[in-house]
Amino acid sequence: MEIPIELVVSLSAILFGIGVVGALVRRNIIVILMSIELMLNAVNLAFVAFARMHGTNDGHVFVLIVITVAAAEVAVGLGIVISLFRNRDTTNVDDVSLLKW
Amino acid sequence: MIEAPNLRLEALAPFAFVAIGSLVVLMGEVLLSRSESMRNAPSVDVRIGTILSFLSAGFLLLAVVVAAQAYMSNTAWSFNVDNPMMRLDRYANFAIGVIGTAAILVCALSADYLNGLRIHHGEYYALLLIAVAGMILMVSAVDMLLVFLGLEMMSIPIYVLAGFDRRKLRSNESALKYFIIGAFASGILLYGMALLYGATGATSFDGIRAGFDPDNALAIVGLGLLVVGFAFKIASVPFHQWTPDVYEGAPTSVTAFMAVTVKVAAFMALVRVLTGAFETTIEPLQDILWVMAAATMIVGNVMAVIQENVKRMLAYSSIAHAGYLLIGLVAGTGEAHAAVLFYLFVYVFMTLGAFAVIIVLAHRGKDAERFDDFAGLATQRPALAALMVLFMLSLAGIPGTGGFIGKWSLFGAAVKAGQVPLVIVAVLTSLVSVFYYLRLPVVMYMRDPSDEPRRMTTSSGEGFALLVCAAVVLILGFFPSEGPGVLLLDNLRVLHWARDSVAFLP
Repeated sequence: MEIPIELVVSLSAILFGIGVVGALVRRNIIVILMSIELMLNAVNLAFVAFARMHGTNDGHVFVLIVITVAAAEVAVGLGIVISLFRNRDTTNVDDVSLLKW
Repeated sequence: MIEAPNLRLEALAPFAFVAIGSLVVLMGEVLLSRSESMRNAPSVDVRIGTILSFLSAGFLLLAVVVAAQAYMSNTAWSFNVDNPMMRLDRYANFAIGVIGTAAILVCALSADYLNGLRIHHGEYYALLLIAVAGMILMVSAVDMLLVFLGLEMMSIPIYVLAGFDRRKLRSNESALKYFIIGAFASGILLYGMALLYGATGATSFDGIRAGFDPDNALAIVGLGLLVVGFAFKIASVPFHQWTPDVYEGAPTSVTAFMAVTVKVAAFMALVRVLTGAFETTIEPLQDILWVMAAATMIVGNVMAVIQENVKRMLAYSSIAHAGYLLIGLVAGTGEAHAAVLFYLFVYVFMTLGAFAVIIVLAHRGKDAERFDDFAGLATQRPALAALMVLFMLSLAGIPGTGGFIGKWSLFGAAVKAGQVPLVIVAVLTSLVSVFYYLRLPVVMYMRDPSDEPRRMTTSSGEGFALLVCAAVVLILGFFPSEGPGVLLLDNLRVLHWARDSVAFLP
C-alpha cells in the first residue's frame, strides 16, 4: 500500500502544531517539556518521510542526531526543574515570576 | 571494498583543543581535590578554582593560536574532503579567534566572582569550554546538521550555567526561562531545517542553494522557521522577551559570557547560513529582516531607558545592538558583512568591559546591579568609574571609541547598499541610547556615595580583563589609519581581517 507523502507531512505538521500550542498555553513545566518533545518528534517524522521521498540518508542521520540531542536537553531540563522545585515547591510557570520588566 | 574516507584532522584542531580541555578540567577538579598537598592547604576551593581557570584559559589560548595560525596561512580545511560538513576557513577562524579571546577574558573574570558567591565547581569551566566547542562547530559548519549540533552543544551548557547559583531563586528562574525558550526555539529551527530538506533534498548549504526554489511554499516556510529559530538566539524582536530576565537572573560572569560569545556565534552562523544556503536576493527574506532590524532597534533602545537595573539595561542594550547588526544582514553586501564582523569584534570588548566592572563591584556575594549601587563610585574608585565611562561611551557610539568606528562602518555600508530609511532609524535610536548609557556616568560622578560597604580591591584576573577590554576599545577608536608598526591591533587591520574573512562566504 502506498502512503502519500502529503499525509505523513500533514501528520507531522499537526503534531508540531499541537506541540507549539501546548508549549505556549500550558502552565505546568513538565507538560511544557512534553510539548517541546512532541515538536521534536514531529521534526523526526518529517525528516524520515522526506528521506524516504528523496531516497537519501541525510534525513535518517539527522533524526538520530535529533534524538540524541533531545535526550541530553531533557536531562538538563529536568535537572533545572528539580532544582527549582527544591527551592519553590512548584512546577507552575506562573509562580516563577521574580524577574519582570 | 570500502574506500577510506579522505580526512583532514587539522580541521578539527581548534575544536579538539577546547573539547579535550573541558574533559581535562572536569577530571582536574577531582584529582586536585583528592591530592594530599591540596587537601591540607587552607582555602582549597579557592586555589583549585584559580588553577582550573588558568587551565581552561590555556586550552582556549591554544585554540585561538591555532585559529590565528590557520588564518594567517589562509587555508580552508574540511574535515571530510569528499563530503564536507564543516570548513575551517578564514571566516571560521576569525570567529574562533573572537569567541576564544572573549572566553579567556570570562575565565579571568570568573575565578574571584565565583569565590564571592561561594560556588566553587570545576564544572563551571568544563561547561564553559563545551559551550565554546559548540560555537566553534556552529561557525565552521557548512551543513544544517552541524549548525544544529553546534547550536545545541552551545546552548545546553549555558542553560546549566545560567542556573549555576542553584540556591538562588533568581538564578533558577533564569535557567528555567532560558531553557524553555531555547528548547522551543531549537524545535522551530529544526522544523525549518526539515522543511528545507523536504523541499530541496539536501542538508548541506550547497545542496540547499542548488535546490532552493522561491516559488515552493515548503521552502519559503522552512526558511521563515529557520530565521525565527535564529532570531530567538540573537535576541531579536519579537523573540527577545527572555533576554532581560535571563541576563538579570544568571550569575554576572555567565551573563557576560552569554552576552558576548553567544551573540557572536549565533550572528556569524546566521550570516554563514543565509549567504551560504540562500540567494541573498530572496524578496520575503529581505522584508522580514528589515522589519526585524527596525523593531529590534526601537524596542531595545526604548525599553532600556526605563530600566533600574544595570544588568537589565545592558540586556536591552544587547537587544538594540542585535538590531544594528541586522542592518548589515539586510544590506547583504560583502562590505556590510565585513562591517558586521568588525562591529561584533568591538561589541565583544565593550560589553565584556561593562560587565567586568559590575563583576569587580560584586561584594560578599551581592551584585552591584542597581543604578543606586553605582552612586559616587567616582570618588571611591576613580579608575573603575573612568573605565565604565569609557565602555558606556563606546556602547553609545561616541567618537573616539571603537563603538563609533563600528557604527560608522556598519551604517556607511548600509547606506551604500541603499538602506537609507533603516540607517535613519538606527541613528535616531542611537541618539535615544545616549540617554541611558550616560545615566550611569551621571550617577557615578554627580551623586554622593551611599553608606553601604563597597569592595575596594581588584583581583589580577579582573584587572587583566578590564585592561584588555579598555585597550581594545580605545585603540579601535582612533581615526581609521594604519597604526604604528608595533601596534598589532588598529581598526583598519581589524577591518581587513573582517574583509578577508567575508571573502570566504559564497
